Amino acid sequence: MSGPVSSLPAGGVARAPLRLRLATDRLAVRILLAVALSMLGAALLIALSGHGPLTAFAAMAVGAAGSAHQIGAALNRTTPYLLAGSGVALCFRAGIINIGAEGQIAVGGIGAVAVALATPAGMPPLLAILAALLGGALAGAAWAAVATAIHIGRHVHEVLATLLLNFVAVLLVQQALAGPLGQFGAGFLQSPLLPRAIWLPRLPLIEAHPGFLIALAVAAALSFVLWRTRFGFALRVAGASRPAAAYAGFSLARLTWGVMLLAGALAGLAGGIEVLGVQRRLIEGFSLGFGFKAVTVALLGALEPLAVVPAALFVGLLEAGALSMQRQIGVPSALVAVIEGLTMMFVLAATVRRA
Amino acid sequence: MTEFLAAAIRIATPLLLAALGGILSERAGVFAVGLEGMMLAGAFAATIGAWAGGSAAAGIGLALAGGAVIGLAVAVVAVRWRADNMVTGLAANILALGLTSYLLRVAAGGGGRPASIHLPLLGPWPIPVLADLPVVGKLLFAQPPLTYLALLGCVAFTLFLGRTQAGLALCATGENPEAAFAAGADPLRVRMLAVIACGAVAGLGGAVLSLQQVGTFTDGMTGGRGYLALASLIVGRWTPFGAAAACLVFGAAEAFELRLQTFGVPVSSYIVQMAPYLIALAVLAVLGRSARLPAAIGRPLEQ
Amino acid sequence: MPDATVASPLLEMRGIVRSFGAVRANDGIDLDVQAGRILGLLGENGSGKSTLMKVLFGMLPPDAGSIVFRGRPLAGHRPAAAMAAGIAMIHQHFMLIDAMTVVDNVMLGWPEAGRVLRRAAMAARVREASRRFGLDLDPDAPVASLPLGRRQRVEILKAILRDAQLLILDEPTSNLAPSEVAGLLAILRRLRAEGRGIVFITHKMPEVLEVCDEVVVLRAGRVAGRTPVAGASPQQLAEMMVGRSVAAAPAPAAQAPGAVRLSVQGLTAPGLSGVTFALCGGEILGVAGVDGNGQIELAETLAGLRRARGGRITLDGRDITHASAAARVAAGLAYMPADRAHTALVRSMSVAENLMLRDSARPPYARGALLSPAGRRGRARTLMGEYDIRAAGPDTPAGRLSGGNQQKIVVARELDRRPAVLVAHQATWGLDPGATRFVLDRMLALRDGGAAVLYISSELEEVLAIGDRIAVLADGGFAGVVARAAADLPQIGLWMAGRAA
Repeated sequence: MSGPVSSLPAGGVARAPLRLRLATDRLAVRILLAVALSMLGAALLIALSGHGPLTAFAAMAVGAAGSAHQIGAALNRTTPYLLAGSGVALCFRAGIINIGAEGQIAVGGIGAVAVALATPAGMPPLLAILAALLGGALAGAAWAAVATAIHIGRHVHEVLATLLLNFVAVLLVQQALAGPLGQFGAGFLQSPLLPRAIWLPRLPLIEAHPGFLIALAVAAALSFVLWRTRFGFALRVAGASRPAAAYAGFSLARLTWGVMLLAGALAGLAGGIEVLGVQRRLIEGFSLGFGFKAVTVALLGALEPLAVVPAALFVGLLEAGALSMQRQIGVPSALVAVIEGLTMMFVLAATVRRA
Repeated sequence: MTEFLAAAIRIATPLLLAALGGILSERAGVFAVGLEGMMLAGAFAATIGAWAGGSAAAGIGLALAGGAVIGLAVAVVAVRWRADNMVTGLAANILALGLTSYLLRVAAGGGGRPASIHLPLLGPWPIPVLADLPVVGKLLFAQPPLTYLALLGCVAFTLFLGRTQAGLALCATGENPEAAFAAGADPLRVRMLAVIACGAVAGLGGAVLSLQQVGTFTDGMTGGRGYLALASLIVGRWTPFGAAAACLVFGAAEAFELRLQTFGVPVSSYIVQMAPYLIALAVLAVLGRSARLPAAIGRPLEQ
Repeated sequence: MPDATVASPLLEMRGIVRSFGAVRANDGIDLDVQAGRILGLLGENGSGKSTLMKVLFGMLPPDAGSIVFRGRPLAGHRPAAAMAAGIAMIHQHFMLIDAMTVVDNVMLGWPEAGRVLRRAAMAARVREASRRFGLDLDPDAPVASLPLGRRQRVEILKAILRDAQLLILDEPTSNLAPSEVAGLLAILRRLRAEGRGIVFITHKMPEVLEVCDEVVVLRAGRVAGRTPVAGASPQQLAEMMVGRSVAAAPAPAAQAPGAVRLSVQGLTAPGLSGVTFALCGGEILGVAGVDGNGQIELAETLAGLRRARGGRITLDGRDITHASAAARVAAGLAYMPADRAHTALVRSMSVAENLMLRDSARPPYARGALLSPAGRRGRARTLMGEYDIRAAGPDTPAGRLSGGNQQKIVVARELDRRPAVLVAHQATWGLDPGATRFVLDRMLALRDGGAAVLYISSELEEVLAIGDRIAVLADGGFAGVVARAAADLPQIGLWMAGRAA
């Protein structure tokens, strides 16, 4: 199988670990060019709707970062993309096309809320929060494990296994809300509001929850894993050539399990943070689109966990700014999805390694 | 029972058209993950076409074009530029979702509200005499036009793949593009055309939803049907009739769920809604390694 | 046959130039082929034979030069145009669709089969032509079910049915057992008798002398000589090929072999039908045989990349039959795979990372689970010096190195571990003479240090030159083993034909 890693530079080239060399990296230039092209495409579409592209972009920028409150909202928006996206990046590095982040986030949300609602009232808040987040991560990993077992045990392509399970996971959320976790008489499928003690606290000044900081630390740790550990080396070898990985003595099954569980746990954690920090309850469809955008972000970050940080910020800021653009000047916020799709297409075209 | 089967056929029709398109793409060696986006673009274009052009024919024509545009995008990036098939398909799906939602609002004159378009549904075209046959008459010979088209498509695609030089070249490209090239075919052209045609046919699948079943376009109205079509063509072993059978099974599963709801059977509808996906997974898992993919699928062409 | 083609050549190629990057694979080649004649195109690996023929067949555009076929110029063409003009090519790696039947393969890309395929009529023509040329082909048989010799006949059948006037055969005997070769040469003679021109690409002298009318020798992308076969001697042709006088210099013989280091008993696996041998310290066992008779299966089963179904492998007395690849490395088994591009090396990774590929758990590369970049680079610099690996630095991607330097990375990694046993598969394939010498010398040094070497190669001459004993692999088993001193070429030829015939 040739994963996207075979089409993206495997990056064993003289790259100082833990140090970004975006400025000198030709890959970075190509990715930035791809982003610029997709913004150009977006500008054309804005013009089509009868508005000025520059005005629209300005409104978007102000909406995303015009105030401390808005920056906080944008960072909150970025967090799940960064967590799930850097996990996906690691999978893609190994040539494993995990597009199950959506389902893993959804199930992570179920896990976190289940733990949170079961927490005894007297528990110290920090402990309760950690328990709920752990519940989310474990649930996400478990959901990834289902896909991995089908993939490894029965040789079903991982794209199909993870993709089909996404749909099941979203229905699982609905089932949980219709049953044990639901709030009766709400009219919507949602859980009761979580106890205040279990909400993620707000950071001073910017009103973001600390999830973004956790995600940053995770990205740094993953970059370390990728470049400075034997596991990371094995992932990179496997992504570049499966026969070479077997020859090097790495077990592909074990690598797949390792990286899938890791990515699943991170996506689950993303779901838990989203539920505890933003929604404060489980809502039907809260994970919608996160999983696919995690793929966008991973590719945009050239499958380098540290470079996924700006990539996730780009998407997070876009989305945070889009609603305000729609409110302010009436350009539909659906434009963001166009930009994301175009960016992904252009990045794919720009990062193919030509023989 | 007839009603149940009718519902199964109704649900299977858009899946089948998309799966037929996907067969072209995958037999030529390109994974058809972009079916969802192609269907969505087709559904949208059909709505706009029928609304602006004032006729279902205009809608169908534009649906072909709309799906083909997404097919073209996939073909350029995944075939011409040799990017990963699967991820390109996903990107195309995101792009189609964004583009259709955005344009639907632009069509309403900008702003956040989508255009509200209501179209008359394409009704059944009963075939004289045959439609009066008991049971089968109603099921097979009193269907709306695009359903006939899907059935004819099965026959036409089977003949095309098995009995024509072009079909032979297409399959050869998916099995061994170097050999196809040496035998005089042009694998790049074959794959590009196959993916674009895949888009057009899957676009018709989308048109079934908007013109024949719903009568309007809503954001993301395909709701994962493209992925189910993908699963069904794999389960159907890349043959038109195999895919048709798989689509019918998925259609029956969903029809069954609708029945349960009407009769108030105490089974959660969410669990039943999972059925098509779980069936697809189960069949893929049972097939396991024996699901012999076209040998060169997903492999980019040499220069 | 048209008389006009007798006077002027069937094919005239003039001044063909084709470069790949900095390498001039074809550097101004002229080539004429007459109708009713078989032209031998001789040259070592990498001398430009295949490139020239791909240019002729329209698979590669030339950088310069002209082609005239049957009086008409061919330029900017694709295979389809070459075929329409009457040229057919039988590739070394058959260009057949394994999943399709013989008749489908024949119809593919053939206008006469019709836009709507006339399968029954075409099957009848396949049967008829198959009878006429004694090809013994069933039109409805899936290609995947045919042995290699039969698949080649499908290719020849395609050429015959399309009425090709010029057939190009690229190394047509490399996949065949000797008995199949005789059948092929008989078919070629029949085609010549019908007045068709044939280009026979090979690097095997005896076949050239047996069937060709004249020979053109390529060396380093240029024509090194051309001569009628009548009166040419193998020695003379060989000197044209390599540009120096060659006497296959046998390697210095081993000292008295030591104790048994690798013992293989009744090893079975898919493609292996019970291989038994013992390999002593201080000796090289050369394994000859036609490709596809279990070479890759034997190498990979020994290396732990394929599972053994039965039998026993012991290394210095330890049973490693079911050990993992990594455990075998630790036990002292080194392996140089034939597939340099995707198995032995990761081309996108640096020289240093490739040097640690199989040793990433050990110092100086790692401490525990953590890698040491400094240790890796330091070690890489040492090895690059010791093994003369020419690269800009330890961080250069391995794929940027020449083939010879890439193989030196593999040699350095596998030999520097001081293994007890080395399994080497096609270790000199595609290397220039200097790099070949380097690889063989290192292997001899390893042997003289007391290690055991299993040297698997389809180049019989090389196996005879380096092996202390010679084994022949045929149909997944050893057809025979003989000491080099006692090696008898006709006997080895018979073994190679073995049970595969």
